[in-house]
Amino acid sequence: MILRRPEGLGPGEVRSRQRARRQLAYLITAGAVGGVIGLITGAFDEGDGNLFAGNWAALALDPAVAILLAVLLAFGFVALPLYGFRTIDELKRAQSLIGFTGGVLAVLAGFPIWAVLHAGGLGAAPHPFGVWLLAFVGMGLSYLYALWRH
Amino acid sequence: MKNRLKVLRAERDWSQAELAGRLDVSRQAVNAIETGKHDPSLPLAFRIARLFGLRIEDIFIDDGDTP
Repeated sequence: MILRRPEGLGPGEVRSRQRARRQLAYLITAGAVGGVIGLITGAFDEGDGNLFAGNWAALALDPAVAILLAVLLAFGFVALPLYGFRTIDELKRAQSLIGFTGGVLAVLAGFPIWAVLHAGGLGAAPHPFGVWLLAFVGMGLSYLYALWRH
Repeated sequence: MKNRLKVLRAERDWSQAELAGRLDVSRQAVNAIETGKHDPSLPLAFRIARLFGLRIEDIFIDDGDTP
């Protein structure tokens, strides 16, 4: 159990458990931030907009709530990952870089492919949330591939 | 690249977590190095060599397979 500290552990085991505890705290923080963002968005959305449908004009938030969400999103998508990058070891950094590369390639290739398919009458027009999802899913799948490979 | 990390660790009766903590890396990193799925960086290779009191080439063996 990583939350307890049994007696008789070597110094390396103790440090490994500290590392595992830090990682657990990081994941809990990330999950909590995501949950709070989802909760606030769900509770304070005043419009009929839908991220998936792309009708952005119908999205409506109180300005103060919008600023709070923007700060939380910046924390969740910028501050936390950067902090994580500084604390992980070289293997996890390599895996994360494969993940980020997958996300970038998914957008670089995915957006023009989506656009030409739409131009050919196949599918809806590209919209911002869809492009964001391309990056997010591409990153997640690439990261899983990196985990599997290592 | 082959290596003798698992043997050296076993000689000291260390778990992967023990070695990982002494090297300040994750247990997964030690496992990946031992199984040849991850080649350590030069700084980490030096840390490993220092920890075991050996030279890098006494631990890591170039099998000519690495690009």
